[in-house]
Amino acid sequence: MEHSDPVNSTLTFIICAAILTMIFRSRRGKQPFIRRIPGLNAIDDAVGRATEMGRPMLLQPGLGGIDVITLQALAILAYVARAAARFGNRIIMPVADASFIPVAEEAIRESYNLEGRVESFRAEDIMFLSDRQFAFAAGVAGLINREKVATAFLFGLFFAESLIMAENANQIGAIQVAGTPSTTQIPFLIAACDYVIIGDEFYAATAFLTREPTLVGSLVGQDIGKAVILLICILGVLITTIMGPDNFLMNWFTPLWWKR
Amino acid sequence: MLRNMVDEIAAWFARSFPPQKGLTLWLILMGLIVAYVVIFFGLQLLKPRARKSLIAVVTFLAGLFYALEFFLPTELIDGKETNALTRFLVPMSEFAQIVAVLALGLGIYSLTMIHGKTLLRFRTGWFYSLTFFTFMILMATFGIMVEEPFSREAQINRDIRSILFVGGLQALEGTMFSIIAFYIVSAAYRAFRVRNAEASLLMAAAFIVMLGQVYAGQFLTNWLPTEGALSNLRIETMSDWLLTRINAPAVRAVGFGLGVGLLATALRIWLSLERGSYFDREV
Repeated sequence: MEHSDPVNSTLTFIICAAILTMIFRSRRGKQPFIRRIPGLNAIDDAVGRATEMGRPMLLQPGLGGIDVITLQALAILAYVARAAARFGNRIIMPVADASFIPVAEEAIRESYNLEGRVESFRAEDIMFLSDRQFAFAAGVAGLINREKVATAFLFGLFFAESLIMAENANQIGAIQVAGTPSTTQIPFLIAACDYVIIGDEFYAATAFLTREPTLVGSLVGQDIGKAVILLICILGVLITTIMGPDNFLMNWFTPLWWKR
Repeated sequence: MLRNMVDEIAAWFARSFPPQKGLTLWLILMGLIVAYVVIFFGLQLLKPRARKSLIAVVTFLAGLFYALEFFLPTELIDGKETNALTRFLVPMSEFAQIVAVLALGLGIYSLTMIHGKTLLRFRTGWFYSLTFFTFMILMATFGIMVEEPFSREAQINRDIRSILFVGGLQALEGTMFSIIAFYIVSAAYRAFRVRNAEASLLMAAAFIVMLGQVYAGQFLTNWLPTEGALSNLRIETMSDWLLTRINAPAVRAVGFGLGVGLLATALRIWLSLERGSYFDREV
Protein backbone atom coordinates (compact mmCIF):
# COMPACT_ATOMS: atom_id res chain seq x y z
CA MET A 1 0.00 0.00 0.00
CA GLU A 2 1.19 3.50 -0.74
CA HIS A 3 1.59 5.92 2.12
CA SER A 4 2.49 9.55 2.45
CA ASP A 5 5.85 10.96 3.46
CA PRO A 6 6.52 14.25 5.31
CA VAL A 7 7.01 16.33 2.14
CA ASN A 8 3.89 14.90 0.52
CA SER A 9 1.85 15.52 3.67
CA THR A 10 3.11 19.09 4.02
CA LEU A 11 2.42 19.89 0.38
CA THR A 12 -1.08 18.38 0.54
CA PHE A 13 -1.78 20.31 3.73
CA ILE A 14 -0.65 23.62 2.15
CA ILE A 15 -2.81 23.09 -0.95
CA CYS A 16 -5.84 21.97 1.09
CA ALA A 17 -5.42 24.98 3.41
CA ALA A 18 -5.25 27.32 0.40
CA ILE A 19 -8.39 25.77 -1.14
CA LEU A 20 -10.40 25.90 2.11
CA THR A 21 -9.26 29.47 2.91
CA MET A 22 -10.30 30.69 -0.52
CA ILE A 23 -13.64 28.84 -0.33
CA PHE A 24 -14.57 30.51 2.98
CA ARG A 25 -13.25 33.87 1.76
CA SER A 26 -15.34 33.60 -1.39
CA ARG A 27 -18.41 32.61 0.65
CA ARG A 28 -18.03 35.84 2.61
CA GLY A 29 -18.58 37.71 -0.67
CA LYS A 30 -15.13 38.32 -2.14
CA GLN A 31 -15.73 36.91 -5.63
CA PRO A 32 -12.58 36.65 -7.72
CA PHE A 33 -12.39 36.91 -11.53
CA ILE A 34 -12.47 33.76 -13.69
CA ARG A 35 -11.17 33.84 -17.27
CA ARG A 36 -13.32 32.67 -20.18
CA ILE A 37 -13.22 29.01 -21.22
CA PRO A 38 -14.34 28.83 -24.89
CA GLY A 39 -15.44 25.19 -24.68
CA LEU A 40 -17.85 26.00 -21.87
CA ASN A 41 -19.20 29.08 -23.62
CA ALA A 42 -20.13 26.73 -26.44
CA ILE A 43 -22.50 24.72 -24.22
CA ASP A 44 -25.37 27.20 -24.54
CA ASP A 45 -24.86 27.43 -28.32
CA ALA A 46 -24.90 23.65 -28.59
CA VAL A 47 -28.11 23.42 -26.56
CA GLY A 48 -29.64 26.17 -28.72
CA ARG A 49 -28.75 24.23 -31.86
CA ALA A 50 -30.44 21.09 -30.57
CA THR A 51 -33.55 23.17 -29.80
CA GLU A 52 -33.63 24.61 -33.31
CA MET A 53 -33.23 21.17 -34.86
CA GLY A 54 -35.76 19.57 -32.53
CA ARG A 55 -33.44 16.65 -31.88
CA PRO A 56 -32.22 15.16 -28.59
CA MET A 57 -28.89 15.75 -26.87
CA LEU A 58 -26.54 13.04 -25.67
CA LEU A 59 -25.01 13.48 -22.22
CA GLN A 60 -22.21 11.02 -21.60
CA PRO A 61 -20.57 10.79 -18.16
CA GLY A 62 -17.91 8.27 -19.24
CA LEU A 63 -16.99 4.86 -17.92
CA GLY A 64 -16.27 5.81 -14.30
CA GLY A 65 -18.32 4.61 -11.34
CA ILE A 66 -19.37 6.82 -8.45
CA ASP A 67 -16.06 8.63 -8.08
CA VAL A 68 -14.80 12.20 -7.99
CA ILE A 69 -14.32 12.43 -11.77
CA THR A 70 -17.78 11.13 -12.63
CA LEU A 71 -19.43 13.31 -9.97
CA GLN A 72 -17.66 16.32 -11.45
CA ALA A 73 -18.84 15.26 -14.93
CA LEU A 74 -22.36 14.92 -13.56
CA ALA A 75 -22.20 18.44 -12.13
CA ILE A 76 -21.36 19.78 -15.62
CA LEU A 77 -24.01 17.62 -17.28
CA ALA A 78 -26.58 18.74 -14.71
CA TYR A 79 -25.96 22.32 -15.90
CA VAL A 80 -26.51 21.17 -19.50
CA ALA A 81 -29.68 19.36 -18.42
CA ARG A 82 -30.92 22.56 -16.83
CA ALA A 83 -30.45 24.43 -20.11
CA ALA A 84 -32.20 21.53 -21.88
CA ALA A 85 -35.12 21.76 -19.45
CA ARG A 86 -35.35 25.51 -20.05
CA PHE A 87 -35.65 25.05 -23.81
CA GLY A 88 -37.74 21.87 -23.64
CA ASN A 89 -35.08 19.58 -25.17
CA ARG A 90 -34.91 15.86 -24.68
CA ILE A 91 -31.72 14.49 -23.20
CA ILE A 92 -30.39 10.94 -23.38
CA MET A 93 -27.87 9.80 -20.79
CA PRO A 94 -26.47 6.27 -21.13
CA VAL A 95 -24.37 5.14 -18.16
CA ALA A 96 -21.87 2.31 -17.76
CA ASP A 97 -22.27 1.79 -14.03
CA ALA A 98 -25.64 0.67 -12.72
CA SER A 99 -25.00 2.14 -9.27
CA PHE A 100 -24.66 5.55 -10.92
CA ILE A 101 -28.27 5.51 -12.24
CA PRO A 102 -29.99 6.80 -9.05
CA VAL A 103 -27.35 9.52 -8.56
CA ALA A 104 -27.69 10.67 -12.18
CA GLU A 105 -31.50 10.52 -12.04
CA GLU A 106 -31.52 12.63 -8.89
CA ALA A 107 -29.18 15.27 -10.34
CA ILE A 108 -31.00 15.55 -13.67
CA ARG A 109 -34.43 15.61 -12.02
CA GLU A 110 -33.18 18.41 -9.78
CA SER A 111 -32.06 20.36 -12.87
CA TYR A 112 -35.52 20.04 -14.40
CA ASN A 113 -37.09 20.99 -11.09
CA LEU A 114 -34.97 24.15 -10.81
CA GLU A 115 -36.38 25.24 -14.17
CA GLY A 116 -39.92 24.36 -13.05
CA ARG A 117 -40.19 21.62 -15.70
CA VAL A 118 -40.03 18.49 -13.58
CA GLU A 119 -42.95 16.98 -15.54
CA SER A 120 -40.73 16.94 -18.67
CA PHE A 121 -38.13 14.76 -16.97
CA ARG A 122 -38.06 11.22 -18.41
CA ALA A 123 -36.36 8.79 -16.04
CA GLU A 124 -36.14 6.18 -18.82
CA ASP A 125 -33.76 8.44 -20.77
CA ILE A 126 -31.10 7.77 -18.13
CA MET A 127 -30.26 4.21 -18.97
CA PHE A 128 -27.72 1.54 -18.15
CA LEU A 129 -26.24 -0.04 -21.28
CA SER A 130 -23.35 -2.25 -20.21
CA ASP A 131 -20.41 -2.17 -17.86
CA ARG A 132 -18.16 -3.68 -20.55
CA GLN A 133 -16.16 -1.01 -22.35
CA PHE A 134 -16.81 -1.87 -25.99
CA ALA A 135 -20.32 -3.20 -25.49
CA PHE A 136 -21.07 0.19 -23.92
CA ALA A 137 -19.39 2.04 -26.81
CA ALA A 138 -21.42 0.02 -29.32
CA GLY A 139 -24.62 0.84 -27.42
CA VAL A 140 -23.84 4.57 -27.35
CA ALA A 141 -22.89 4.55 -31.05
CA GLY A 142 -26.22 2.87 -31.82
CA LEU A 143 -28.12 5.47 -29.78
CA ILE A 144 -26.30 8.33 -31.52
CA ASN A 145 -27.22 6.97 -34.94
CA ARG A 146 -30.80 5.93 -34.16
CA GLU A 147 -31.78 9.07 -32.28
CA LYS A 148 -29.78 11.39 -34.60
CA VAL A 149 -28.63 13.50 -31.66
CA ALA A 150 -28.02 17.17 -32.45
CA THR A 151 -25.33 17.64 -29.81
CA ALA A 152 -23.17 15.35 -27.74
CA PHE A 153 -21.57 16.27 -24.43
CA LEU A 154 -18.78 13.90 -23.48
CA PHE A 155 -17.60 14.68 -19.97
CA GLY A 156 -15.96 12.17 -17.66
CA LEU A 157 -13.50 9.33 -17.62
CA PHE A 158 -12.88 7.88 -21.08
CA PHE A 159 -10.59 5.24 -22.46
CA ALA A 160 -10.21 3.78 -25.96
CA GLU A 161 -13.98 3.92 -26.54
CA SER A 162 -13.99 7.74 -26.62
CA LEU A 163 -13.17 7.87 -30.33
CA ILE A 164 -15.94 5.41 -31.25
CA MET A 165 -18.51 7.67 -29.62
CA ALA A 166 -17.01 10.96 -30.82
CA GLU A 167 -16.59 9.81 -34.42
CA ASN A 168 -20.12 8.43 -34.62
CA ALA A 169 -21.49 11.75 -33.38
CA ASN A 170 -19.25 13.58 -35.83
CA GLN A 171 -20.47 11.46 -38.74
CA ILE A 172 -24.09 12.44 -38.15
CA GLY A 173 -23.09 16.11 -37.87
CA ALA A 174 -23.65 16.56 -34.14
CA ILE A 175 -21.91 19.42 -32.35
CA GLN A 176 -19.67 17.96 -29.68
CA VAL A 177 -18.33 19.46 -26.48
CA ALA A 178 -15.98 17.20 -24.53
CA GLY A 179 -13.85 17.29 -21.42
CA THR A 180 -11.87 14.57 -19.72
CA PRO A 181 -9.06 14.18 -17.21
CA SER A 182 -7.77 11.19 -19.22
CA THR A 183 -4.70 12.78 -20.81
CA THR A 184 -4.33 9.90 -23.28
CA GLN A 185 -7.80 10.54 -24.72
CA ILE A 186 -7.52 14.33 -25.06
CA PRO A 187 -5.81 14.14 -28.52
CA PHE A 188 -8.58 11.89 -29.88
CA LEU A 189 -11.30 14.16 -28.55
CA ILE A 190 -9.54 17.24 -29.96
CA ALA A 191 -9.44 15.54 -33.36
CA ALA A 192 -13.09 14.46 -33.31
CA CYS A 193 -14.95 17.11 -31.28
CA ASP A 194 -15.78 20.77 -31.90
CA TYR A 195 -14.84 22.01 -28.44
CA VAL A 196 -12.67 20.31 -25.83
CA ILE A 197 -11.85 21.52 -22.37
CA ILE A 198 -8.50 20.12 -21.31
CA GLY A 199 -6.66 19.46 -18.09
CA ASP A 200 -7.90 21.13 -14.94
CA GLU A 201 -10.47 23.13 -16.92
CA PHE A 202 -12.53 19.98 -16.37
CA TYR A 203 -12.59 20.74 -12.65
CA ALA A 204 -12.98 24.48 -13.21
CA ALA A 205 -16.05 23.99 -15.39
CA THR A 206 -18.68 23.99 -12.65
CA ALA A 207 -17.22 27.13 -11.09
CA PHE A 208 -17.27 28.85 -14.48
CA LEU A 209 -20.81 27.75 -15.27
CA THR A 210 -22.53 28.32 -11.92
CA ARG A 211 -20.34 31.07 -10.38
CA GLU A 212 -21.19 29.62 -6.97
CA PRO A 213 -18.90 31.13 -4.30
CA THR A 214 -17.76 27.73 -2.98
CA LEU A 215 -16.69 26.55 -6.42
CA VAL A 216 -15.10 29.85 -7.43
CA GLY A 217 -13.18 30.01 -4.14
CA SER A 218 -12.05 26.44 -4.63
CA LEU A 219 -10.81 27.32 -8.12
CA VAL A 220 -8.70 30.17 -6.78
CA GLY A 221 -7.35 27.85 -4.07
CA GLN A 222 -6.39 25.36 -6.81
CA ASP A 223 -4.49 28.11 -8.62
CA ILE A 224 -2.56 28.91 -5.43
CA GLY A 225 -1.76 25.19 -5.14
CA LYS A 226 -0.51 25.13 -8.71
CA ALA A 227 1.58 28.24 -8.05
CA VAL A 228 3.20 26.44 -5.10
CA ILE A 229 4.01 23.43 -7.31
CA LEU A 230 5.36 25.73 -10.04
CA LEU A 231 7.56 27.49 -7.50
CA ILE A 232 8.97 24.14 -6.35
CA CYS A 233 9.61 23.16 -10.00
CA ILE A 234 11.49 26.40 -10.67
CA LEU A 235 13.49 26.02 -7.45
CA GLY A 236 14.23 22.41 -8.39
CA VAL A 237 15.56 23.45 -11.80
CA LEU A 238 17.72 26.21 -10.33
CA ILE A 239 19.11 24.17 -7.43
CA THR A 240 19.76 21.08 -9.57
CA THR A 241 21.50 23.25 -12.20
CA ILE A 242 23.74 24.80 -9.58
CA MET A 243 24.30 21.90 -7.14
CA GLY A 244 23.83 18.83 -9.34
CA PRO A 245 21.26 16.01 -8.99
CA ASP A 246 22.26 15.01 -5.42
CA ASN A 247 20.92 18.06 -3.59
CA PHE A 248 18.71 18.61 -0.53
CA LEU A 249 15.55 19.47 -2.51
CA MET A 250 15.79 16.36 -4.67
CA ASN A 251 16.42 14.28 -1.53
CA TRP A 252 13.33 15.70 0.18
CA PHE A 253 11.21 14.51 -2.72
CA THR A 254 12.74 11.03 -2.72
CA PRO A 255 10.59 8.73 -0.51
CA LEU A 256 13.53 6.42 0.30
CA TRP A 257 15.50 9.34 1.74
CA TRP A 258 12.98 9.56 4.62
CA LYS A 259 13.42 5.88 5.44
CA ARG A 260 17.19 6.22 6.03
CA MET B 1 -0.47 3.96 21.16
CA LEU B 2 -3.03 4.26 18.35
CA ARG B 3 -1.89 0.92 16.96
CA ASN B 4 -2.41 -0.76 20.37
CA MET B 5 -5.84 0.78 20.77
CA VAL B 6 -6.95 -0.30 17.28
CA ASP B 7 -5.48 -3.78 17.85
CA GLU B 8 -7.48 -4.13 21.08
CA ILE B 9 -10.71 -3.04 19.38
CA ALA B 10 -10.06 -5.48 16.50
CA ALA B 11 -9.33 -8.29 18.98
CA TRP B 12 -12.55 -7.56 20.88
CA PHE B 13 -14.53 -7.73 17.62
CA ALA B 14 -12.81 -11.02 16.72
CA ARG B 15 -13.67 -12.47 20.17
CA SER B 16 -17.25 -11.20 20.16
CA PHE B 17 -18.06 -12.24 16.58
CA PRO B 18 -16.29 -15.55 15.91
CA PRO B 19 -16.74 -17.26 12.51
CA GLN B 20 -20.07 -19.14 12.33
CA LYS B 21 -21.21 -22.22 10.44
CA GLY B 22 -24.42 -24.04 9.58
CA LEU B 23 -27.78 -22.85 10.93
CA THR B 24 -26.28 -20.03 13.03
CA LEU B 25 -24.63 -18.56 9.94
CA TRP B 26 -27.92 -18.66 8.00
CA LEU B 27 -29.81 -17.11 10.91
CA ILE B 28 -27.24 -14.30 11.15
CA LEU B 29 -27.48 -13.73 7.39
CA MET B 30 -31.29 -13.57 7.58
CA GLY B 31 -31.06 -11.17 10.50
CA LEU B 32 -28.68 -8.93 8.56
CA ILE B 33 -30.99 -8.90 5.53
CA VAL B 34 -33.91 -7.89 7.79
CA ALA B 35 -31.73 -5.18 9.38
CA TYR B 36 -30.75 -3.95 5.89
CA VAL B 37 -34.42 -3.69 4.84
CA VAL B 38 -35.33 -1.87 8.08
CA ILE B 39 -32.43 0.59 7.66
CA PHE B 40 -33.31 1.12 3.98
CA PHE B 41 -36.94 1.99 4.70
CA GLY B 42 -35.92 3.93 7.81
CA LEU B 43 -33.72 6.15 5.65
CA GLN B 44 -36.64 6.75 3.27
CA LEU B 45 -38.71 8.03 6.20
CA LEU B 46 -36.08 10.56 7.26
CA LYS B 47 -36.65 14.20 6.45
CA PRO B 48 -34.43 15.51 3.59
CA ARG B 49 -32.38 17.68 5.95
CA ALA B 50 -31.74 14.78 8.36
CA ARG B 51 -30.88 12.45 5.44
CA LYS B 52 -28.46 15.05 4.09
CA SER B 53 -26.77 15.38 7.48
CA LEU B 54 -26.48 11.61 7.77
CA ILE B 55 -24.93 11.39 4.29
CA ALA B 56 -22.49 14.18 5.21
CA VAL B 57 -21.42 12.36 8.42
CA VAL B 58 -21.00 8.97 6.67
CA THR B 59 -19.06 10.61 3.80
CA PHE B 60 -16.79 12.40 6.25
CA LEU B 61 -16.08 9.27 8.32
CA ALA B 62 -15.38 7.13 5.24
CA GLY B 63 -13.07 9.82 3.81
CA LEU B 64 -11.38 10.27 7.18
CA PHE B 65 -10.52 6.57 7.32
CA TYR B 66 -8.73 6.66 3.95
CA ALA B 67 -7.04 10.01 4.70
CA LEU B 68 -5.72 8.79 8.06
CA GLU B 69 -4.58 5.48 6.59
CA PHE B 70 -2.61 7.37 3.93
CA PHE B 71 -1.11 10.07 6.15
CA LEU B 72 -0.39 8.25 9.42
CA PRO B 73 3.28 7.27 9.87
CA THR B 74 4.09 3.68 8.92
CA GLU B 75 6.32 0.88 10.22
CA LEU B 76 7.92 -1.89 8.22
CA ILE B 77 6.15 -5.10 9.33
CA ASP B 78 6.68 -8.36 7.36
CA GLY B 79 8.24 -6.33 4.54
CA LYS B 80 5.17 -4.10 4.18
CA GLU B 81 4.68 -0.47 5.13
CA THR B 82 1.73 -0.52 7.52
CA ASN B 83 0.09 1.61 10.15
CA ALA B 84 -2.74 0.99 12.61
CA LEU B 85 -5.45 1.29 9.94
CA THR B 86 -3.83 -0.59 7.05
CA ARG B 87 -5.31 -3.93 8.13
CA PHE B 88 -8.84 -2.54 7.62
CA LEU B 89 -8.25 -1.54 3.98
CA VAL B 90 -9.32 -4.94 2.62
CA PRO B 91 -12.53 -5.18 4.71
CA MET B 92 -13.40 -1.61 3.68
CA SER B 93 -12.93 -2.38 -0.02
CA GLU B 94 -14.99 -5.58 0.42
CA PHE B 95 -17.74 -3.49 2.01
CA ALA B 96 -17.63 -1.10 -0.98
CA GLN B 97 -17.87 -4.10 -3.31
CA ILE B 98 -20.95 -5.39 -1.48
CA VAL B 99 -22.63 -2.00 -1.88
CA ALA B 100 -21.68 -2.01 -5.59
CA VAL B 101 -23.13 -5.50 -6.06
CA LEU B 102 -26.48 -4.26 -4.75
CA ALA B 103 -26.56 -2.04 -7.85
CA LEU B 104 -26.59 -5.08 -10.13
CA GLY B 105 -30.36 -5.32 -9.71
CA LEU B 106 -30.68 -1.66 -10.75
CA GLY B 107 -28.81 -2.39 -13.99
CA ILE B 108 -30.96 -5.41 -14.81
CA TYR B 109 -34.11 -3.42 -14.00
CA SER B 110 -33.03 -0.53 -16.25
CA LEU B 111 -32.18 -2.81 -19.17
CA THR B 112 -35.38 -4.87 -18.76
CA MET B 113 -37.55 -1.73 -18.74
CA ILE B 114 -35.94 -0.26 -21.87
CA HIS B 115 -35.86 -3.44 -23.92
CA GLY B 116 -39.14 -4.78 -22.53
CA LYS B 117 -41.04 -1.70 -23.73
CA THR B 118 -39.38 -1.85 -27.16
CA LEU B 119 -40.20 -5.53 -27.53
CA LEU B 120 -43.78 -5.37 -26.27
CA ARG B 121 -44.65 -2.43 -28.53
CA PHE B 122 -42.69 -3.79 -31.51
CA ARG B 123 -40.85 -0.51 -31.86
CA THR B 124 -38.09 -0.06 -34.44
CA GLY B 125 -35.20 -2.35 -33.54
CA TRP B 126 -37.36 -4.75 -31.46
CA PHE B 127 -35.20 -7.65 -32.67
CA TYR B 128 -32.19 -6.11 -30.87
CA SER B 129 -34.22 -6.21 -27.66
CA LEU B 130 -35.17 -9.83 -28.38
CA THR B 131 -31.47 -10.63 -28.87
CA PHE B 132 -30.71 -8.92 -25.56
CA PHE B 133 -33.27 -10.97 -23.63
CA THR B 134 -32.26 -14.22 -25.33
CA PHE B 135 -28.59 -13.81 -24.48
CA MET B 136 -29.19 -12.41 -21.00
CA ILE B 137 -31.25 -15.51 -20.14
CA LEU B 138 -28.72 -17.85 -21.78
CA MET B 139 -25.72 -16.27 -20.04
CA ALA B 140 -27.48 -16.22 -16.68
CA THR B 141 -28.68 -19.82 -17.03
CA PHE B 142 -25.33 -21.31 -17.98
CA GLY B 143 -23.46 -19.02 -15.61
CA ILE B 144 -25.50 -19.82 -12.52
CA MET B 145 -25.96 -23.55 -13.20
CA VAL B 146 -23.92 -25.63 -10.75
CA GLU B 147 -23.04 -29.31 -11.29
CA GLU B 148 -20.56 -31.93 -10.18
CA PRO B 149 -17.13 -30.50 -11.15
CA PHE B 150 -15.94 -33.38 -13.37
CA SER B 151 -19.22 -34.61 -14.76
CA ARG B 152 -20.18 -34.70 -18.45
CA GLU B 153 -22.87 -32.04 -17.78
CA ALA B 154 -20.28 -29.73 -16.30
CA GLN B 155 -18.12 -30.06 -19.44
CA ILE B 156 -21.12 -29.31 -21.70
CA ASN B 157 -22.00 -26.33 -19.51
CA ARG B 158 -18.43 -25.02 -19.67
CA ASP B 159 -18.40 -25.45 -23.47
CA ILE B 160 -21.63 -23.50 -23.89
CA ARG B 161 -20.35 -20.76 -21.57
CA SER B 162 -17.16 -20.63 -23.61
CA ILE B 163 -19.12 -20.33 -26.89
CA LEU B 164 -21.24 -17.52 -25.45
CA PHE B 165 -18.43 -15.63 -23.73
CA VAL B 166 -15.29 -16.21 -25.81
CA GLY B 167 -16.97 -16.96 -29.14
CA GLY B 168 -19.68 -14.34 -28.77
CA LEU B 169 -19.05 -11.48 -26.37
CA GLN B 170 -15.28 -11.29 -26.64
CA ALA B 171 -15.35 -11.58 -30.44
CA LEU B 172 -17.90 -8.76 -30.65
CA GLU B 173 -15.83 -6.60 -28.30
CA GLY B 174 -12.73 -7.32 -30.38
CA THR B 175 -14.64 -6.17 -33.46
CA MET B 176 -15.58 -2.88 -31.78
CA PHE B 177 -11.99 -2.37 -30.69
CA SER B 178 -10.65 -2.95 -34.21
CA ILE B 179 -13.05 -0.33 -35.59
CA ILE B 180 -11.04 2.28 -33.68
CA ALA B 181 -8.24 1.93 -36.26
CA PHE B 182 -10.56 3.30 -38.96
CA TYR B 183 -11.88 6.05 -36.72
CA ILE B 184 -8.30 7.12 -35.94
CA VAL B 185 -7.66 7.55 -39.67
CA SER B 186 -10.77 9.65 -40.25
CA ALA B 187 -10.15 11.76 -37.12
CA ALA B 188 -6.46 12.23 -38.03
CA TYR B 189 -7.40 13.28 -41.55
CA ARG B 190 -9.55 16.10 -40.20
CA ALA B 191 -7.02 17.08 -37.50
CA PHE B 192 -4.12 17.28 -39.97
CA ARG B 193 -5.84 19.48 -42.54
CA VAL B 194 -3.67 22.58 -42.78
CA ARG B 195 -6.09 25.40 -41.98
CA ASN B 196 -4.03 27.69 -39.78
CA ALA B 197 -0.61 28.08 -38.18
CA GLU B 198 -1.43 25.78 -35.23
CA ALA B 199 -2.73 23.01 -37.51
CA SER B 200 0.43 23.33 -39.67
CA LEU B 201 2.62 23.04 -36.57
CA LEU B 202 0.63 20.04 -35.37
CA MET B 203 0.95 18.34 -38.72
CA ALA B 204 4.69 18.98 -38.97
CA ALA B 205 5.26 17.63 -35.43
CA ALA B 206 3.06 14.58 -36.06
CA PHE B 207 4.85 13.92 -39.35
CA ILE B 208 8.26 13.92 -37.65
CA VAL B 209 7.09 11.75 -34.72
CA MET B 210 5.43 9.22 -37.03
CA LEU B 211 8.47 9.00 -39.30
CA GLY B 212 10.72 8.67 -36.26
CA GLN B 213 8.83 5.57 -35.11
CA VAL B 214 9.21 3.55 -38.33
CA TYR B 215 12.31 2.21 -40.04
CA ALA B 216 11.36 3.75 -43.39
CA GLY B 217 11.38 7.18 -41.70
CA GLN B 218 14.70 6.59 -39.97
CA PHE B 219 16.17 5.45 -43.29
CA LEU B 220 15.59 8.95 -44.74
CA THR B 221 18.21 10.52 -42.46
CA ASN B 222 20.40 7.46 -42.04
CA TRP B 223 23.21 9.15 -43.95
CA LEU B 224 23.64 11.78 -41.21
CA PRO B 225 26.31 11.10 -38.53
CA THR B 226 25.23 9.58 -35.20
CA GLU B 227 27.41 11.98 -33.21
CA GLY B 228 28.06 15.71 -33.33
CA ALA B 229 25.77 18.65 -34.13
CA LEU B 230 24.41 17.12 -37.33
CA SER B 231 23.09 14.08 -35.44
CA ASN B 232 20.37 16.34 -34.06
CA LEU B 233 18.85 16.46 -37.52
CA ARG B 234 18.32 12.70 -37.65
CA ILE B 235 14.58 12.01 -37.76
CA GLU B 236 14.58 9.69 -34.73
CA THR B 237 16.48 12.31 -32.66
CA MET B 238 14.00 15.01 -33.61
CA SER B 239 11.11 12.65 -32.88
CA ASP B 240 12.59 11.77 -29.48
CA TRP B 241 13.20 15.46 -28.72
CA LEU B 242 9.58 16.33 -29.53
CA LEU B 243 8.27 13.51 -27.35
CA THR B 244 10.54 14.00 -24.34
CA ARG B 245 11.18 17.75 -24.35
CA ILE B 246 7.90 19.17 -25.68
CA ASN B 247 5.19 16.55 -25.20
CA ALA B 248 6.18 15.01 -21.86
CA PRO B 249 6.48 18.34 -19.92
CA ALA B 250 3.14 19.50 -21.33
CA VAL B 251 1.44 16.25 -20.30
CA ARG B 252 3.04 16.46 -16.84
CA ALA B 253 1.87 20.07 -16.45
CA VAL B 254 -1.67 18.99 -17.38
CA GLY B 255 -1.27 16.15 -14.86
CA PHE B 256 -0.32 18.57 -12.07
CA GLY B 257 -3.36 20.73 -12.81
CA LEU B 258 -5.60 17.67 -12.86
CA GLY B 259 -4.15 16.42 -9.58
CA VAL B 260 -4.82 19.70 -7.79
CA GLY B 261 -8.31 19.89 -9.35
CA LEU B 262 -9.06 16.35 -8.21
CA LEU B 263 -7.84 17.18 -4.71
CA ALA B 264 -10.07 20.27 -4.54
CA THR B 265 -13.15 18.40 -5.77
CA ALA B 266 -12.49 15.50 -3.40
CA LEU B 267 -12.06 17.94 -0.51
CA ARG B 268 -15.37 19.66 -1.30
CA ILE B 269 -17.17 16.32 -1.50
CA TRP B 270 -15.50 14.96 1.64
CA LEU B 271 -16.44 18.01 3.71
CA SER B 272 -19.86 18.31 2.01
CA LEU B 273 -19.04 21.86 0.94
CA GLU B 274 -20.53 21.37 -2.52
CA ARG B 275 -23.56 23.49 -3.26
CA GLY B 276 -26.14 22.81 -5.97
CA SER B 277 -25.62 20.22 -8.71
CA TYR B 278 -26.10 17.03 -6.75
CA PHE B 279 -25.95 17.62 -3.01
CA ASP B 280 -27.75 20.60 -1.68
CA ARG B 281 -31.06 21.39 -3.29
CA GLU B 282 -33.95 19.04 -2.84
CA VAL B 283 -36.75 18.27 -5.29
